[in-house]
This record gives sequence, structure tokens and C-alpha cells, in this order.
Amino acid sequence: MTEYVTRFNGRQRTEHIAVMSLFLVLSLTGLPQKFYQAGWAETIILWMGGIDRVRWVHRAAGILFTLLTFTHLTTAIGLVVTGRSQLSLVPTRKDFTDAIVTLRYYLGMSDLKARFGRFDYRQKFEYWGLVLGAVIVILTGLTLYFPLFVARFLPGELIPAAKLAHGNEALMAFLVVIVWHIYNAHLSPDVFPFDTSIFTGKVTRERLEHEHPLEWAEIEERRRRGHGGQNVWVK
Amino acid sequence: MPSFLLPLLIAATVHIQAPAPGSQDVETCLACHSDRNLAVALPDGESRGLFIDRAVFERSVHGGKLGCVDCHSDMTEVPHAARPFNTRREFTVAYYEQCKRCHFANYSKTLDSVHHAAQARGDSTAPLCVDCHGSHDITPPSQPRSRISQTCAKCHEGVQSTYARSVHGRALFEESNADVPACTDCHRSHDVGGPRAPGWRLKSPEICANCHTNERMMKKYGISTNVMSTYLADFHGMTASLHRSEQTDTGAVTALCIDCHGVHDITKVGEKTSPVMQANLVRVCQRCHRGATASFSAAWLSHYEPSWTKAPLVYGVKVFYAVLIPFMIGGLVLQILLHLWRVVVNR
Repeated sequence: MTEYVTRFNGRQRTEHIAVMSLFLVLSLTGLPQKFYQAGWAETIILWMGGIDRVRWVHRAAGILFTLLTFTHLTTAIGLVVTGRSQLSLVPTRKDFTDAIVTLRYYLGMSDLKARFGRFDYRQKFEYWGLVLGAVIVILTGLTLYFPLFVARFLPGELIPAAKLAHGNEALMAFLVVIVWHIYNAHLSPDVFPFDTSIFTGKVTRERLEHEHPLEWAEIEERRRRGHGGQNVWVK
Repeated sequence: MPSFLLPLLIAATVHIQAPAPGSQDVETCLACHSDRNLAVALPDGESRGLFIDRAVFERSVHGGKLGCVDCHSDMTEVPHAARPFNTRREFTVAYYEQCKRCHFANYSKTLDSVHHAAQARGDSTAPLCVDCHGSHDITPPSQPRSRISQTCAKCHEGVQSTYARSVHGRALFEESNADVPACTDCHRSHDVGGPRAPGWRLKSPEICANCHTNERMMKKYGISTNVMSTYLADFHGMTASLHRSEQTDTGAVTALCIDCHGVHDITKVGEKTSPVMQANLVRVCQRCHRGATASFSAAWLSHYEPSWTKAPLVYGVKVFYAVLIPFMIGGLVLQILLHLWRVVVNR
């Protein structure tokens, strides 16, 4: 008998699968373009059927990624405005103090552990990094897709600048995912080998209490007052 | 000494002791062929002169080295047997392969040329060895170098006159410049290629790069050798480079050196008539990008590496990420290491 808490709903889980797949396709078709003069990149491009096809796939995936980002942001804004969602991802002053407390703990300067709410500062950092990065690659990507149109209103130098920004922003996003996200979701001793919560939507009560104690306390408090707690179940 | 080498030795000796090759038969032939009026009437009504100018032949590269029958190997009987030729051209076509007996390497190269391909299609005007080199009057074809393009001009007159006005042609003809390309430097001499040869178009930037990435040569003229790397770093160069690697002609087009700078009519970029002058550039862009504006053509940084003075916005983006990416990834790696360290300590 384990107590579970539902942490991610169907829409959120679907969004994660979509962004993950598109990120993979865009990285696979995009990074070899950035580094095309390197042997490995050329091999990948030729293996995928040549530069014309790689560009086509990259642009198609880019359009889907744009739609996904747009849908996600408008839905999120809509949910917050209508009061059906809390601003649980907005950075607060507590996130900064949490980061300092955590670093002090890591460095052995104190035994005090930060107590996190629904999302800790690392998750917020990654989320907003993704959103900001998405906005940058979408705007620069569209500039590269429609340079004639952009140049009708803006100086032409924006186009090579957009090309550099697009590739570098994407490279940074790729490295953050490879280093940070893969560590936190797979390699970290806390979750090794695989944190499945974003796919199944559930975590055990113990884990939630341990990793997001303030969120668990809030759930407990609502349950005690007789409303809420529907997302806690036993199996 | 192994006995089987003996015949070889004898052959060599005999050869060395022979009189100056052909000198005797030259005299024999000239007994008739020094007659200025000697000619044969051909069935098509044309007349083929048979006069050989001794002085011209002796000044030629073969003078004193080859005798008449070394090339005219079937003309050993006097009077000569009747030949089945209807035209002068038929005679030339029948005899041109004589050259390969000595010049086999260059002969076999010609088999890969556009000229041979034209000949194989049945074009009898396609040039043979003697059409470019001459026959009894052969002299080194590139002395002086400007002679090369005059040779090609015998057929390609239009191209030659365009080339003569180009930055390369003017330097060749007016300054006898040894660096600028003559026809054969780009098109090669025996295995002559041209825009219709497969893969020629996509390979053409390499021809330009041969000289334009040569530091020592370009320094003389104050031309940057970054032209190739900046081209390859841009969209067009990337497309061209990868299409070339694909080795299948997809028919897709992208701008190569020649598409903006011209081919035989290449001008100095500083000249008013240059298509790539900033003021004229937009018209070059419009050839492919319909509706291109002057602002659009400014997207191309004219082979400049971005810097604070040239394209500061582009350079700014470059610097920004050169700082941000190591900072970001370094910070995250550091936090991961600290976390792992704490996990180990806690144990």
C-alpha cells in the first residue's frame, strides 16, 4: 500500500512528450547545420538524405514547436486569469534564498536544507530558460525562414545576427538539457535511473514530502479543511 | 648478364647510333614539299596545300627531333598511295591520333574533355590536338601566356573578348601578369571542362579558391583570403558545400562565386560597374530573391568577418553567447558536482 499524489495532469504530460520529441528532431536536424563543416555533422546530414530534406524537416518541426509554445503560453495565461491555476512557476524572493541555502548546504557550510513548494528554484530556472529560449529560437527562426519579409521592415544585419543567435541559443539549450536535465531526471542519485513522474503523472507521498515539503503541507492543510486532496490516492 | 637482355641492348645501341632522327627523310620529303605551289584538289572542291616551310618546321619544338614519317607513318612510298579523304577536315581527323604515340598522357586526358565529347557526338569542328597546337609549326603553347586565350579565341571569340575586359584579362594582356588565370587555369588544358560538364558548377568555387585562398598571392593585390571561409560560413556556401558532398545533382540551386561576381566578366569589386558593389548588390540578389530590398542585401556581410566596426550587431551576438554558454554550462556542472559531493559526504 503506497500513497500516491498526482502531480501532472494529462495536458502537462502530453506537452512534455511533445516538447521532448520536437526538441530531439530539432536538435538532430539543427545542430549538424550549425556545425556542418565538421565531419560528423556532414555524415548526419547526408545520412538523413541531404541538406534540402534536413532543412525541410527542421522547418516543419519548428512550425510545430512554435504552435506548441503558443498553445502552452496562451493556455497557461488563460488558466491563471480564470483562477484555475496558481502562479506556482513564477520566481519569488524565496527562490533566491532557497538557492543560497542549498549552495551553503552543498558546500557543507550549514546543515539547513531549503524546503521547496510545488516547484523548486532549479525547476523554475529550467522552465523559464526553456520559455525564454523558445521565444528566441522562434523569433530568430522565423527571421531565417522569411528573410525577405523581415528585411522589408528591419535592417538586413538582423538576418546574420538572427542566424548566430538561433544556433547559439539552440546549442545552449541542447547543452543545458544534456547536462542539467539529464542529470536531474536520470543520473542524480535522488532519482536514478529514471524519474518517471512527468510520464506517469504521479509521485509517491514520501518523495513529495521529501522533495516538495511545502506542497505536501499545503495538500495536507486542504485535506484537513475538507476540500482538496482529490489528487491523493492509494494503491 | 642474363642473355635475354641482349636483344634490348642491341636495340638501344642501334637507336643511339642512328643518324639524327628523320633528318634524311625530311630531305627526301622536302624534295617535293618545299614547292610553294604543291597542293592536292579534294573531292569537295577545296584545295589542300602541301607546302612545308623548312624554317618554320625547324623552329618548331619538333624541328631536328622528329622526321616526317614519325607522324606521317603511312607516307613511306613515293608517289603516295591515293587517300580516301573528301575534305581537309577528314584528313586532320584521320591523322590527329599520331600525337598520342609520344604524348599519351595528354592524349588520354583529352578523352575526358568537353571537346572530345563534342567530337563523339559527331561534331567534326570540335578541336583536335593540331587545332590548338598547330602541326608543323608547334611552339610552346603558353609562351607568352596571353597566347593561351588567343588559341581558345579561334573558336570562343565572344568569351575571349569578354575575358579581355575583365580584371583577370586586363592584367594578363596589359601587364603580362603571371598570377591571373588564363583560360586553361580554370578550364584546364587537355581535359577541358565547362559549365555543362557534370558537377562543374558546384565545383567552381574550388577553382576560385585555388588562388583566392593563397595568402602570398593575394597579399600582393591587397585581397582578403577570407573570401572562401566567409562564403562557406554563410547560407549559400553551406548549401553549395553540402550539395557537392551529396554527389547527386538535386537540381537545387544556390549562389556560387560566379553567380554574384560573374564568370568571364569578373570586375574589381571597387569598380562602379561591379555587380557586387554595395549600390548594385540588390540587383544581384533579386536575380534569385524576387522582391529583395536594399535592406535584404545588407544581410550579406560582403565577405567581412563580423567585428565591432563591421556588423557590430552580429559581433555582439557572437560575443554574448561566447560568454554566456560557458558561464551557464559551467555553473550547472559546478552545481551538479557540489550535489554529488554532498551526497557522498552524507553517506
